[in-house]
Amino acid sequence: MLHLSSRRLLKLLPLLWLPLACQPDKPKATEATEPAAATQPQTQQLRDDLGRQLTVPARPRRVLALAPSMTEMLYAVADTATIIARTQVCDYPAAVLRKHVVNSYPLDMEKLVALHPDVVFTVEGITSLDDAARLEKFGVPVYYQRFQSLDDVFRGMRDLGRILHRQSQARHLTDSLQAELAAITKVTPANQSRPRVLAITWQDPIYVYGQNTLFTDKIKVAGGQNAVTEKFAQPYPALTREYILKLNPDVLIGGSFGKLDSTFFKNYPELKRINAYQTRRVYGISGDLMERPGPRVVESVRELQKLVSNK
Amino acid sequence: MNRRALPWILASLLLMLALVVLGMRVGSYDTDYALIGDALTHYNPQNPTHLVLVELRLPRIVLALLAGGGLAFSGYLMQAMVNNPLADPYLLGTASGASLGAIFCFSFLPSLTWGGFYLPPLFALAGALATTLVVVAVGTRRGQIIPAQLLLAGVAVGSLTTAVGGVFTFLSATQEKLRSVTFWAAGSFERAGWEVLPYPAVALAAALGLFVFLQKDLTILMLGEERAQGLGVDVARTRWLLLVTASVLTGCVVALCGPVGFVGLVVPHLTRWLLGVTGRANPLFCALLGGNFLLACDLLARLLYPPAGLPVGLVTALFGVPFFVYLLRNKGS
Repeated sequence: MLHLSSRRLLKLLPLLWLPLACQPDKPKATEATEPAAATQPQTQQLRDDLGRQLTVPARPRRVLALAPSMTEMLYAVADTATIIARTQVCDYPAAVLRKHVVNSYPLDMEKLVALHPDVVFTVEGITSLDDAARLEKFGVPVYYQRFQSLDDVFRGMRDLGRILHRQSQARHLTDSLQAELAAITKVTPANQSRPRVLAITWQDPIYVYGQNTLFTDKIKVAGGQNAVTEKFAQPYPALTREYILKLNPDVLIGGSFGKLDSTFFKNYPELKRINAYQTRRVYGISGDLMERPGPRVVESVRELQKLVSNK
Repeated sequence: MNRRALPWILASLLLMLALVVLGMRVGSYDTDYALIGDALTHYNPQNPTHLVLVELRLPRIVLALLAGGGLAFSGYLMQAMVNNPLADPYLLGTASGASLGAIFCFSFLPSLTWGGFYLPPLFALAGALATTLVVVAVGTRRGQIIPAQLLLAGVAVGSLTTAVGGVFTFLSATQEKLRSVTFWAAGSFERAGWEVLPYPAVALAAALGLFVFLQKDLTILMLGEERAQGLGVDVARTRWLLLVTASVLTGCVVALCGPVGFVGLVVPHLTRWLLGVTGRANPLFCALLGGNFLLACDLLARLLYPPAGLPVGLVTALFGVPFFVYLLRNKGS
């Protein structure tokens, strides 16, 4: 007899959105009450996360994203037949590999324009505003999203659903992800002392996940806290060895203990004094999960939770 | 040492002392003078503040002094060798060659550490010396250094290595790699440690020792090749000595700190403005002044943009160029 605990059931919840995402974008029964097509507006006016105003077709049929996280979101929310291309770094889900490739760095403007997308989605910092302005001159609207918290990610998915007329898919997806997240939060005792976690993105110079990144929110839900409490102008600030010694993080993320012992700590032996090294709480993490604020964000939080709780 | 040089050298030493003390105070850990004194006289590695002061701040200060001294003195030697005030330590493509080596590391190597060695400085040194050899091969004829040809060879080969570096960067660009390359190219002392300091220290001491004795030949060479030969200076031998010394010194500094610009151009001029062209103490004073200038720039960089600090190469240019322009306007070249 098959026994499934409530936690296992919650882990299966995200799978529920897959069949929904793969459904063709057919009209819903409720839409029968909508006004006749002739009276429907042909376009919709949008304001993206950067406050930019843009006009896109009322029902976009040709879409693409210039960031791998947003491509993952599109696959989770949009009618997959409407996704016309991917970038050279988009590799999830596997089905995306069958799409045309548009180079995002440097941006292959000509190919992108030739594909005649109705709207292009991207993330702040990935596509330059200058490139977006040029694309808009060619009649290609660019919609920016900004993710600094988990709520931003969920809101981003709902925004995609609204723009693409896939509200129900987006709502199912965010509901299931939020339910999963709630289950993770329950597991983390509120009074537990939160380990200070430093996540490095590059070793020379030492760049880390700053306070104003999604990591801060994710690690908080996972039961820890971002060791970087100071807010810097850059989301991924460069830190000195002295600053890291002062932070004295309990957990270091950026590579397995063995790997960092032979590279990072070999180059910066003074940093062997930090708690994380002394207690060997130095961990590698799935890069894609950590870096992509998409539908796998809860998976990322769960991975962080395992590291923080030392399981 | 003449009477004109002595007060300037003493003033430089006092300024250096002040900058070192100030440098020991700037950082993430709060310190005071008593703590600094305690760390230097009763060093306890178990005390985190002692560790920071002795293992991080002090080597950084010493590296800034050595790098500044090395680059300024290299510039002084290069200007004498080609008898051209526009020359700087990077005349022979050292900076672009070192950058090429470092960019290759950042762009293509799966790991920046191999066999316990941190590779970018080694690749930078190899790139600097290889480029210098190519420039020298193009800029010499039958064993004789032709200054004008050497200058042009330096510019041409430098452009080529910069272009190759650009291709490497373009082919492998990720945001982090780009930032790494940019950060390296603008110069930094953040990676300073006691273990690397002997290399620039020995190179600078040897170069200074050698050219304090050869100061007379250097001065005569600056009067022009024909007059130098007429006064009995072995021009070819002196030029080779200058070239090898300046190249090794610059290579050592660039490998450790990146191609910090401007020091090697401006400080030799300042030295001659203050002490005259023929001063015997010029090499020593030039190195002292270069060290002070770079240490002051690093201090400023750390104060302006804590904690990592602005890349020091940007500060040398931001504050050095207006000063250089002021001197040019008021004192002439």
